[in-house]
Amino acid sequence: MSTFEFLLQGLMTAAQPMNLLYALIGVTLGTAVGVLPGIGPALTVALLLPVTYRLDPAGSLIMFAGIYYGGMYGGSTTSILLNTPGESASIVTALEGNKMARAGRGGPALATAAIGSFVAGLIATIGLAFIAPLVVKLALVFGPREYFALMVLAFVTVSSAFGDSTLRGLTSLFIGLAFSLVGIDQLTGQTRLAFGVPDLLDGIEVTTMAVAMFAIGETLFIAAQGDKGPDKVEAVKGSVWMNAADWARSWKPWLRGTFIGFPIGAMPAGGAEIGTFLSYATEKKLSKHPEEFGHGAIEGVAGPEAANNASAAGTLVPLLTLGLPTTATAAIMLAGFQQYGLQPGPLLFATNPQLVWGLIASLLIANFMLLVLNLPLVGLWVRLLTIPKPWLYAGILLFATLGTIGANPSVFELGMLLTFGLLGYLMRVFGYPIAPVVVGLILGPLAEQQLRRALAISQGDFTVLFTSPIAAGLLTVAFLALAVPLILRARGRGEVLSQMAADED
Amino acid sequence: MNQEPVKQAEERRPDWAALVIAAVLVVIAAVIFADASRLREVMGYSPVGPATVPMVIAFVLILLAVWTVFAAFRHDFPEREKQEVQPVAWIVGGLAAQMLLLNTAGFSIATGVLFAATAAGFGKRRFWISLPVGMVLCLIVWLIFAGLLQLSLPAGPLERLFQ
Amino acid sequence: MKHFILASIVAGAMALPAAAADYTIMAPAGPGGGWDQTARSLQAAMQQEGISKNVQVLNVPGAGGTIGLAQFASQQKGNANALIVGGYVMVGAILTNKAPVTLKDVTPIARLTGEDEAIVVPAASPLKSIDDLIAALKKDPGSVTWGGGSAGGVDHIAAGLIAKAAGVDPTKVNYIAFAGGGEALAAILGSYVTVGISGYGEFESQIKSGTLRLLATSGEKRVPGADAPTLKEAGLDIAVQNWRMVAAGPGLTAEQKAAITADVKKLATSKTWQETLKTKGWQDTYLDGDAFSQQLAKDISATETVLKEIGLVK
Repeated sequence: MSTFEFLLQGLMTAAQPMNLLYALIGVTLGTAVGVLPGIGPALTVALLLPVTYRLDPAGSLIMFAGIYYGGMYGGSTTSILLNTPGESASIVTALEGNKMARAGRGGPALATAAIGSFVAGLIATIGLAFIAPLVVKLALVFGPREYFALMVLAFVTVSSAFGDSTLRGLTSLFIGLAFSLVGIDQLTGQTRLAFGVPDLLDGIEVTTMAVAMFAIGETLFIAAQGDKGPDKVEAVKGSVWMNAADWARSWKPWLRGTFIGFPIGAMPAGGAEIGTFLSYATEKKLSKHPEEFGHGAIEGVAGPEAANNASAAGTLVPLLTLGLPTTATAAIMLAGFQQYGLQPGPLLFATNPQLVWGLIASLLIANFMLLVLNLPLVGLWVRLLTIPKPWLYAGILLFATLGTIGANPSVFELGMLLTFGLLGYLMRVFGYPIAPVVVGLILGPLAEQQLRRALAISQGDFTVLFTSPIAAGLLTVAFLALAVPLILRARGRGEVLSQMAADED
Repeated sequence: MNQEPVKQAEERRPDWAALVIAAVLVVIAAVIFADASRLREVMGYSPVGPATVPMVIAFVLILLAVWTVFAAFRHDFPEREKQEVQPVAWIVGGLAAQMLLLNTAGFSIATGVLFAATAAGFGKRRFWISLPVGMVLCLIVWLIFAGLLQLSLPAGPLERLFQ
Repeated sequence: MKHFILASIVAGAMALPAAAADYTIMAPAGPGGGWDQTARSLQAAMQQEGISKNVQVLNVPGAGGTIGLAQFASQQKGNANALIVGGYVMVGAILTNKAPVTLKDVTPIARLTGEDEAIVVPAASPLKSIDDLIAALKKDPGSVTWGGGSAGGVDHIAAGLIAKAAGVDPTKVNYIAFAGGGEALAAILGSYVTVGISGYGEFESQIKSGTLRLLATSGEKRVPGADAPTLKEAGLDIAVQNWRMVAAGPGLTAEQKAAITADVKKLATSKTWQETLKTKGWQDTYLDGDAFSQQLAKDISATETVLKEIGLVK
């Protein structure tokens, strides 16, 4: 049988009514647990995997695919509506998405996220089916120095989330970097900045920080405004659905996000969040409405959401072709596959075509079910915002702490939630942007470790960082992204000199 | 863009809050320096050891602190809205109460208290409504996530009724 | 509203019983790793074999299991229904982190599984055998980069032991720690490190497909089906295994300990568990009672010696 016939056969099996129901249940469960802030896809899949064991292999594979995509998607809804990112990959979504929801455009934001996820999931899953062996070869070309260059590029892109002041943006970023030092240094096993507190040995959990900074900081800030603000957010201004302009502004970011997210997800140390950062920066650079960024630009939701979902499919590339679990989620999936007698690895496509194509077909069906589940719910979700403020924010804190407790039921973790919540509040009061802190926390250790690995391998020779073509290329792009705006600004200095004198940062 | 075009030139008093921020940045940098200097440099194949990156970050924090001081004297910070302290205190108190009660009273009671305190922070101080509503809501959440989905959430007296 | 819809869907579809948990098993690691898989396999097997009607798994990640261990020791004193999964990695982590809570503060019940370490190189590597590797190591230890798991973990310890047995200064080992087996494997496949060292299971499918060459395994016996000598056969007097165990809370009575041990033994000999071992590729190294306590004490002191020699513990 040809690959195409296998896929067709898989789709036929997956499209049986009973299996469609399993897919719907899987997607629903995955979304339900995935929306909890702090509970990422890894824990979602770990919690729900046993549920699938009760079904026949085809049914359980399909439900499992549903749980996976549901868990990956779940975080976006809370990011957009409540400014509470469910996991690190949906932090960027909160930046523009929540601004849109505040402006009564929560419907289009949710819709572009759902449709973008679908488009990205569709393209990436097809990519997984047909070009996986090629992509994985590309991914393996990435060694420590190439990853370091990629991190440098990601750092440069953070500046697009700096807001209106370079000083405050940089300060936020370095506060995040300072926090990222906490814990055991992975390369030597020494502890840094843990002060003998065992709970700090593993560093500061990114999701705890994100939930605290975004959800709790925001709640405190809104509460501190007293009666000044409007009592209710106007949930729907204009249409709940995307209008023609929304479509026109979304479709390119969806595709670009997919092409950024898929290969980065396939890289063993890429990580879904890096793809979302890069996508956000790309959209901001390419947008015809850059002034809207930071105030609810739909491109800033469409691109990163597509990148997020595309990298979820990308993760499966090394898993299925090499048996290489590159994320915690993938490691759990590996355990799940063994249940079906499927041993992922280089021989999988040859020895077990039925199951592989069954899985890929299941992913396509699950992806479709995600859309079926989420689009009709958009109207309902948006109504959440019409809940009076006291109850809405009480509910937000309930779910924010539920996620943290569920992931790690420790008093210390709740203490960190409170501390960082206060920090997030104070930073808002003084006009510091929040996102760079979280980005610094994520990127800091990655960049440092890859740099040190590269240098240890070269035994201290710094030139290796620039001598590989990929690393050199990425560093050049990073340099240009940093330098070109500066040059352009310097050229146009005549006109804007007065403005710059007034606020040079 | 200048956010404070009306700022008078004779207003020479620095922005005190910004000076405090600069001081905090210096303190963080000092802590990182102190911590990094105690690290042992083991396995010398990479010239960038476990202390190098912390040192660089601390150094940049100092630079940022200096920059912040300049900004404070130039009044480059945006105007701050007046903040109400009481609502913040309610919510912080709610979070602290939840933290302390969680392991003894269980998820529903502890989080119910947080729920009511947050509502109070936003002006709803009728606790005879908000407390029971919060606890029942939390109990439903507990039943779904701990009972059905096997998430481990601490159980207290309320939860044990359903076990 | 959403919750009710959800609840009815879930309840309708699954009809899961909401009965009390008989055992709570702590996996002192995040989901996905070896301890988490061990805990979840225990959960499934215990329920299937009827040893315990309802078993809950609790993840407390962090610092090589020491955070979970500390929490477990303080909260489960005298609780005969709480178990914790642990292993050799924990022994090393307790030493390197100078953890205040050690394995003395819990009641080790039994060793369950073991996995040999595998020493591999990419197929294109000029190193054809373990002897080639030793020769390269002796010539210039810095040029041989070892890719494996976290610093101070079993992979790192094994690399240090090999260097020492070959007469090379263990502090000169150029060990590159990676976040997990997956990331290390990618670096090995991409030839970014000279040699890979990790659990045999991490590399098995790559070895079988010929993309990696197995130079040696670290156990007392050869891994069944693997075409490579043990380190002992290669003339290096070392045997290391990454074992996993299960322990109970501190302050148990002798009867309670005996009851838990009986349950675990019943589990370990059950058909379900044996099948799990087979699908996961874990070796059955069941050991309980005094024999296990003695073995544990021996492992701890040996590990301390090695970590001092590598320079990770003073």
